[in-house]
Amino acid sequence: MDHFKGPLKNDCEELLGRFQATESVRFERFSAIWKDMNFSSIFFDKPDPKERRHFARLALSVVSPYFHPPYTFQIRVGCLYLLYGLFHTQLCTPKEKIRIALKDWKDVMQFQQDAENAQHHDVVYIFKKLMSDKAFHFTAMPKMLFCRMKREDGKGKKVCEEFVDPPTRTQELITTDVLEELVNVHEHYENLKKAVFTDSDPNVNLVEQNLVSKLNNAILTYSNWQENHTKAEQLDAGEGPSNQDSSRRAQLLASIKSRSYGQVMEASKARRHRQSQLVLSSDGDHTSNTSSKKKRPPSLKNRTQLRFKIQGTEREKLTNATRLWNLSKVKEDKVTEKKKQFTWRSKP
Amino acid sequence: MAESSVLTLNSNVPVFEYTDVSSKEFHIGSFRDLWLNALNPDVYSYSDTTPDIQDVQLIEEMGIEPETLEELKNMCSVESLRSEHEDTDTVPADSQLSTLKLRKRRQEYKESLTRDHIDRHEAYANELEMICVGKKPEDLGDLVPEGELILTFNVLYPVLFQRFKHVRAYQTLNVLGSQKLTELKDAICCVSDLQVFGEFSNSPDMVPQFISKDHYKSAFFFFNGTFYNDMRFPECRDISATTIEWARTRDFPEFEIAKMEDTCFHDLKMKVGFPYYYTHQGDCEHVVILTDIRLVHQDDCLDKKLYPLITHKHRVVTRKCSVCHTYISRWVTSNDALAPTDPCLFCEQCFRLFHYDDKLEKVGDFVAYAYVDPGTFN
Repeated sequence: MDHFKGPLKNDCEELLGRFQATESVRFERFSAIWKDMNFSSIFFDKPDPKERRHFARLALSVVSPYFHPPYTFQIRVGCLYLLYGLFHTQLCTPKEKIRIALKDWKDVMQFQQDAENAQHHDVVYIFKKLMSDKAFHFTAMPKMLFCRMKREDGKGKKVCEEFVDPPTRTQELITTDVLEELVNVHEHYENLKKAVFTDSDPNVNLVEQNLVSKLNNAILTYSNWQENHTKAEQLDAGEGPSNQDSSRRAQLLASIKSRSYGQVMEASKARRHRQSQLVLSSDGDHTSNTSSKKKRPPSLKNRTQLRFKIQGTEREKLTNATRLWNLSKVKEDKVTEKKKQFTWRSKP
Repeated sequence: MAESSVLTLNSNVPVFEYTDVSSKEFHIGSFRDLWLNALNPDVYSYSDTTPDIQDVQLIEEMGIEPETLEELKNMCSVESLRSEHEDTDTVPADSQLSTLKLRKRRQEYKESLTRDHIDRHEAYANELEMICVGKKPEDLGDLVPEGELILTFNVLYPVLFQRFKHVRAYQTLNVLGSQKLTELKDAICCVSDLQVFGEFSNSPDMVPQFISKDHYKSAFFFFNGTFYNDMRFPECRDISATTIEWARTRDFPEFEIAKMEDTCFHDLKMKVGFPYYYTHQGDCEHVVILTDIRLVHQDDCLDKKLYPLITHKHRVVTRKCSVCHTYISRWVTSNDALAPTDPCLFCEQCFRLFHYDDKLEKVGDFVAYAYVDPGTFN
């Protein structure tokens, strides 16, 4: 059942991605996308209550992380709608609930407050409806913890970069409050200096005069650069003229390097016994593609057959010889269908 | 806002110690108080507010007109999300969703298998869950109070087989926060509790009726450096004393002891997802993991008498008699010249017929012990 985690994550990210593209937080947009993808059919399956419940629980747990920071407000709204949809379209009774941990409750309340302040009535309505439908379980930790020491491959941990705001660490560090304080301190300092020294001695000027305004300008230019940089990266899908030059140069460099490394310096006569050899580095991929299936050690039957292969043919002759009386039996069509093992990951 | 700052600083808010593996230690009673302070009592009560009252509350809280509310209800109704064809039992053939593509492949594979019948045990396992869900007690005094905590413990079976380490068999128990540790201890089903001691080859009819559970009642839990001993009965002994003595001679921090019957779960400080320890019968050791703590919900089982509740039990294959392969084995013999293997299992009839002649005298040399099958709890 855990194999469904990957496809579920893909489907949810696709839905949220399309919602993000609409650049709106209205429920009608969301429900249009939902209907277009026919998302409620995700629960359709043979009526097996245990499987249904397990799948519903998995679906809700895959979607829940998108409801909390560091995702953007729009993604969190989309996740709320998605949880609402999944909760109501699930097929098991009583319904599987959405888990909220104590540590995330503060963020949830903040989110609700933001939505109320921005007058997003549909967001608030849906959240309150979920609360009144008792759709939440108030828990200690966001997931049930079974002490899984074996780390799964790190794919589950990746935070989708498009859904997260670009990092704003400098803006967070230098806020308006900090700037105000700096201005106050600076004024105070200047006043103290004037009080102590009657004429302005140039040696005392150790601090930049326009410290605060310069700091502010620096932050603004940085944030502008960041915006332009991200926009430029997005527009960079097609190659612009400046990019072509740089890529040509890069290709030239690469070809020179490969030629130089391809040629192995021939050792001098004194060192012929230590010839250097070119080792290709293409074998590095093998280690990463180890299949998760462990190969079963061959069974006792197979091992004995392998060991006694030479004698095996003789045995067959003997057994065949005694089967002469079987000739009259109707030959059955042997449909030798080898049972194939189900591969969870489909071959591309 | 003061409340939220308290939440961030309070050490009783559970956070991950190792991400996705276990949490840091926190006091369970304080955790419950934090949740109850943060929530409106309506949110976790068992009763539902009527739709009219709900509407009035919404209008007040959101500061909107009744017409806006009606509009909202229409726009955000669940009906707008349901799909057109309501055939929920089949996977739709053409779908863009990768989950459904995988499911279709799996279904096709399963249909290609020749045998596909539901195990009898699985059918019963579903019923076990269905019985307890949403059950309300007849006597309202037994109703689980609102705002109570439910803790979920996984008790792993002691490792018996070397080969089966990939699947750790466990049973899942739900307990209430206000219950004592002794109630959890009584609810754990372990086959070693049912063992009967003694060698009975000479007197097979005289198998005594007592079981180990009645004889050896000592047990302890080990949580976060404290041993909780069961001291309810006069014959219970403090079996953790040996471990504490041993630890004192080496460089271990001092362990404490407490009584199991005096401690309830609210008083404990625990880590979620961390493996703890339960020992009984002197040396039968189980790993106990606290997997989940949450507030009680109206859809849970609300009858106090049914807790601790077993929600999941791993099935163990029952060992049948070596002779008839039909009946469950009751005897195990050793050093038996007549038996093909050592040790060898027999059911009651085969054992008598095989090892005793007409005059009920022992045939051959062997030792026989009573055997309790690990699958008795299925």
